[in-house]
This record gives sequence, structure tokens and C-alpha cells, in this order.
Amino acid sequence: MGEDILKEAGITDYLVVYEYLGQSTAQDTKRATQIMVEQGCDLILFCGGDGTARDIFDVVERRIPLLGIPAGVKMYSAVFAVNPVIAAELICDDTSIVLRDAEILDVDEDAYRAGELKTCLYGIARVPALPGKTQHAKQVFEEADEERAKDEIARFMGEVIKPDTLYILCAGTTTEAIARHLGIEKTLLGVDVIQNGTLVARDVDEKTLLRLIEKENDVRVIVSPIGAQGFIFGRGNQQISAEVLKKTGLSGVIVVATPHKLRDTPLLYIDTGDPILDAAFGESIPVISGYRIAQRKAIFHQGTCVT
Amino acid sequence: MQTKILLDEEQIPKKWYNIQADLATPLDPPLHPQTKKPVVPADLAPIFPMELIKQEVSRDRYIDIPDEVRDIFRLFRPSPLFRAHRLEKFLKTPAKIYYKWEGGSPSGSHKTNTSVPQAYYNMKEGIERIATETGAGQWGSALSFATKIFDLDCTVYMVRTSYEQKPYRKIMMQVYGAECLSSPTTRTQSGRAMLEKDPDTPGSLGIAISEAVEDAATHDNTHYSLGSVLNHVCLHQTIIGLEAKEQLAMVEEYPDIVIGCVGGGSNFAGISFPFAGDKITGKHPDVRILGAEPAACPSLTKGLYAYDFGDVAGFTPLMKMFTLGHDFVPAAIHAGGLRYHGDSPIVSKLVHEKVMEAVAYHQNEVFLAAQTFARTEGIIVAPESAHAVKAAIDEALICKKTGEAKTILFNNSGHGNFDMSSYDAFYQGKLVDYEYPAELVKEALAHLPAIP
Repeated sequence: MGEDILKEAGITDYLVVYEYLGQSTAQDTKRATQIMVEQGCDLILFCGGDGTARDIFDVVERRIPLLGIPAGVKMYSAVFAVNPVIAAELICDDTSIVLRDAEILDVDEDAYRAGELKTCLYGIARVPALPGKTQHAKQVFEEADEERAKDEIARFMGEVIKPDTLYILCAGTTTEAIARHLGIEKTLLGVDVIQNGTLVARDVDEKTLLRLIEKENDVRVIVSPIGAQGFIFGRGNQQISAEVLKKTGLSGVIVVATPHKLRDTPLLYIDTGDPILDAAFGESIPVISGYRIAQRKAIFHQGTCVT
Repeated sequence: MQTKILLDEEQIPKKWYNIQADLATPLDPPLHPQTKKPVVPADLAPIFPMELIKQEVSRDRYIDIPDEVRDIFRLFRPSPLFRAHRLEKFLKTPAKIYYKWEGGSPSGSHKTNTSVPQAYYNMKEGIERIATETGAGQWGSALSFATKIFDLDCTVYMVRTSYEQKPYRKIMMQVYGAECLSSPTTRTQSGRAMLEKDPDTPGSLGIAISEAVEDAATHDNTHYSLGSVLNHVCLHQTIIGLEAKEQLAMVEEYPDIVIGCVGGGSNFAGISFPFAGDKITGKHPDVRILGAEPAACPSLTKGLYAYDFGDVAGFTPLMKMFTLGHDFVPAAIHAGGLRYHGDSPIVSKLVHEKVMEAVAYHQNEVFLAAQTFARTEGIIVAPESAHAVKAAIDEALICKKTGEAKTILFNNSGHGNFDMSSYDAFYQGKLVDYEYPAELVKEALAHLPAIP
């Protein structure tokens, strides 16, 4: 459970508290966590996704803070650091750790296969947070009802969507609301393609996308960042590759998100694997957050100071 | 090093300046909301006193300020003109920055310049109650003060977000004896319709105007009063620019740039029209006149110059103005007084004809400018006025680059003493930089079917 990686990294000051045989299971995660708790640890740092977060939370609940290092799978929970470097920043000074509440969510994969996104709130964990990166008090009114905000975004996008233009609708409930407004049934966690009010292709991969957009003159991408982590591209929607974005052009990218999501997402991130393309997005981007309303949000680039 | 340039009470202007006299072509007439034909005085008589209707369409260059109104003005006018020496020093700019300070009026802003004459003319015509709307609460408190002075009742429909964000403004109205309601209300048909459509609406000036107009139109003893946009309101506010011109002359100055924040346009009109008149008539053709508006509601910089309703429900006449659409509900920015979809028809015409220009700012940069101003000049300005401060600082910084010692005049329209929760939000990093997605809206409008 990570010992080999620590060795490879030259780290020797550690204690192995639990060993498992064969393929590790959820039960192994829970048992290991229980032993760590008994050993008196102050923070559980883990590498994994929503399932691992849920297993650890089952044991520690709110008694001990936890923090996830993103492991390249879909992660809907708000307990993950943006990347390992930020995770290290969050915990390197243990005298100044500020804790915040963070939702643990999990996706019902069976429901997803049936075209339905079920992300239930599993628990509220305690995670380390950098002061200034955490939003506190609620905003009034327009953030009162997230579903209403989605409908407002969908109403505006319904006006914006043009005939003949090909639209790539990325994953999420906000883009799903846009599709619903247009009378189109969209996959919730997949990338779908629409044109002239009809679904051209659903749950497409990069290769299919490139084929579909090859002969199109006007292609737009409507995308919503991953909540809390703030990734617009590079996590959860790898189909929208650098190649795809070069074809659509940066002006063809329309970012949408509810005020609720944006409130909990202080910075946005882009990691297409092409640093020059990432940098071309600039320092900030407008995010459609209501009917004819946008919020200007900062984009984090490597080397930028995070405070 | 003179800091305050002051006029005596006797130097309170005796006449307002009516820029309609100097416009190259007359204003496009307001149109009746139903017939779409130009409105006639009789159309407006149910909600406005005749004297204000006359002022609305007058092309006389100067209009007398009644002595009774000037007597009330003695409480707070002439307002001081300040030279912002400390701000200049902080910015290391060769520019000379002057600001007219309107925050010393009883209600803390320029709004009393028109609330007093409006209440006066209504009183003279036997009206017993005035209904109005208010955004940030500055207008509502100014009219509450003025109606009390002339012994009238007052009902204020206050935009819901401001009602929640600025509780002290509504208490202030209570102190002056007015009734302050959170708009939309269930009292009017237009308010009920809005609540039914969207119970969580943050409200907007457009909605509140609909309610106040409906209230006035359905009660014989009640008139309506508007705190901005209309020609007679802009006329009353010219007292600011007229005084400023006198004060600058006392130190042998004439501005190169005149700046005001813009919501409905009246304070911008007030500071700038006397100078815009000089520009139009060729006396000072080079003076630049700059309006500062919020990026969340950028009617002058991103709007369409067209006929539109002044309110959400479509009760008001159609006016030719820069508009984002009368059904647009702007984001809930803290400069609530600037959340208006349209603009004064005169200001709009002058911007359209390039006599004036405009710039739009996000919330955080505006509050940062306000902080700079407070830490140098001492005054904590209202979020609305902070837009003018930001523009003045930007222009002064351009002078720093070019080395030009330009004279900048801006209207500091009100204090922010009731806006501490907004400053608190700024310090907590909670201010959202809202903006209007103009390009996407343009795309949307381009392929929408035309509405006859």
C-alpha cells in the first residue's frame, strides 16, 4: 500500500502498519485506516478516488482530517488537492493547518450506465485548507437554488446555440440541463455532440470527436469545470484533447458553472498536456453563471503564486 | 496648498443648466408603451406634476431654481470641491485630481439635489404621497428626507438584494418617516407576477420601478418619482457641475477630463453636462467626458442604442437609450445603484454621438481603488462612487506614463458608511467579478427571430 513507492522516492522514515495479500480491497483500506487511527495519526493522506475517500471516512468520520492526492480517476468529492504539489503545500506546515468541511460524494456507476447521474452526499469530512482558498459565508439569493441557476444558464445557452454549428457538450449536470432545455437526452458523465437540435453522437472518445469535427467550420465546446478542484480540461474529460481544442480554437470554448460551484472553486485549471495551449487560455476566463451573466475567474498556471 | 475650494451659500446656483438647449438635434421622443406614438404631457400627468413634465421637454437653456428649494439646499450646498493632493502623491502622478464631494448631504449622496425639487413641485400641486423605487437605498433615503421636509408621505420599493445587504438604509428611511418595502412585493400586480415567476429573484431597479409606477397610477393622491434617468432629474443634478465650474475657475482651472459613475446616469449628467455643453458649443471642444460603469451591467459600453422600456413590466414610455434589454436582471453586485439595464436618454445620445465615452470595471478592482482613496483622502466612498474613483485613478496613472499634468475632475457622489458589509466581502475575497457576456449575447441576438 505505497511502501514500494516511498522506497523508490528515497523516503525511509515510515512505519508499515498493515500488509495485505493479493489484490487490495475496500476492506484493506478500512483496516489500514483503523490501525492508523489506533496509532494516533493526526491526518490521513491517501491516494485514490471517491471510493477510497468513502472507505476512509467510514472509519475516521469527522474525528481525523483526511486529504486525497488525485489519482487520475473521476473524483467528485471535494476532499482532493488539485495536484500532489498543492497537497504537499497544504500539509507541509502543520502549525498553520486550517480545516474546512468537504463533501464526500460517490457516483453510482450502475445508474450512470443507465444514463442517470446519482452523486449522493456520503458525508462531510474535515480537510486541510489554505486560508484564502476557502470561501465562507453564503451569497444571497442567486445562489439560493442551484437548480434554478442551471435553468438560467440553460435558458441563455438555448439562445446562444446557433444552427449548423457543432456543439461538444461535456459531462456534468449543468451541461445536462442545457441539453434538457434543448429537448435532447444527454449522457451525464460522457461527452456528447449535438448539431441543429439533435444528438449527433453520445459518449464519444477523442478519436470519434476528431473525426466528427474534421470537416466542420464552426465547432464549440460547452464545458463545466469539475467542482472544487476547478479543472476545465485535463481531468474527467480527456476526450477534449489538445488536438480537439486546436480544432475548435480557444474562442470556441464556452465555460459554464453555477454560482454555487464557482463559490467553492477559487481557481480554474487547464491541463491538456500541451503547456503552450494551456498558457494560451490566459490569466482569466469568463464563466457563464446565469442568464446573460458571467463571472470572470482566474486560471491557475504552474509557477503562479497561490495564496 | 489649498485642499478645499468653497463657495458661499449665496453662491448656490439660481438656475439649472438644461443641455437640451445645446443638443445639435433634439432628443428622440419617448413613445407611449401601448400606442408607440410620442407621449404627450397628458400621458404623464397621472404620475408626475406638470412643472416636472414641462422641465422634461423644455429646450430653455436655464431653468430657475425655486427659492424654497434653494433654502433647503442651504443645509448641504454648495458642496465642497477637493483637490486630492494625497492621492496624487500616492500615485506619483503629475495629474491634478479634483473631486466634488456630494456625500455631505443629509442622506449622504447627490440624490437630494433632485429629491428636494421633486418633492417641492409635488407639494405645490397638492399631491399627498410619492411612490418610488430605490436600488442601493441612496435615492430612497434622499426622497424620504425631502418628502418629510414638505410634509408628504413616501413609499419606497427597495430592490430586494439591497434591502437585505443594507438594512441601515431602510432604517434611515424609517427615521425620515417613509415606508420602505422589499421589492418585488405582493402589494402590486407586477410584483406578484415577478414573485410567481421567480420567488428567489434578487429584484432589480427595473422591477421596483414597475411597482412604484403601478402604485402611483392606481392611487389618485399619489405621484411617482424617479431618482435618475429622466431629463428633469439630470437637469436638477447639473447644480453639481455648475458649482464645480465656479470652484475650478476660482483656482484658474478647467478640466481636461470629467468623470462620473453611471447607473441611470444622473450623477454623471450632473457633474458633466455643464462641461459637455461647452464641448458641444465649441467653447472647450477637447474636454473628455468619461462615464464609469460596472462590467456586470455595462449598458453604455456593451448595450444597444435603441428604444426600450424603462422598467421590467413595460409600464413606462419607451425611451431611446443604451440598453441591455428591459428584461435583463443584472448580477447582484454591491454597487446596487448601478444595476440598471438602461441609461439616461440624454447621456445615451451624447455617448452615441461621441461627445461622451464610457469604461466598465469589475467589482474587485473598483473596491481596491476605493481602498486607495480611503487610505489617502480619508473618505470611504459608496461602491457606486468607487467606479468614478477607479476611472480617475486610471486616468491619473496614464498621465504618470505620459508625463502630462492633466486636470481630472470627478464626482464623488456619496459615502459608503452603510456599505461596510460590501467592504467586508471585499476583504474576505468574496466579491465576484461579474461581467456581461456581450459577445455571446450578440451571437444570441443575431439569430433570434425579430420581435415586431
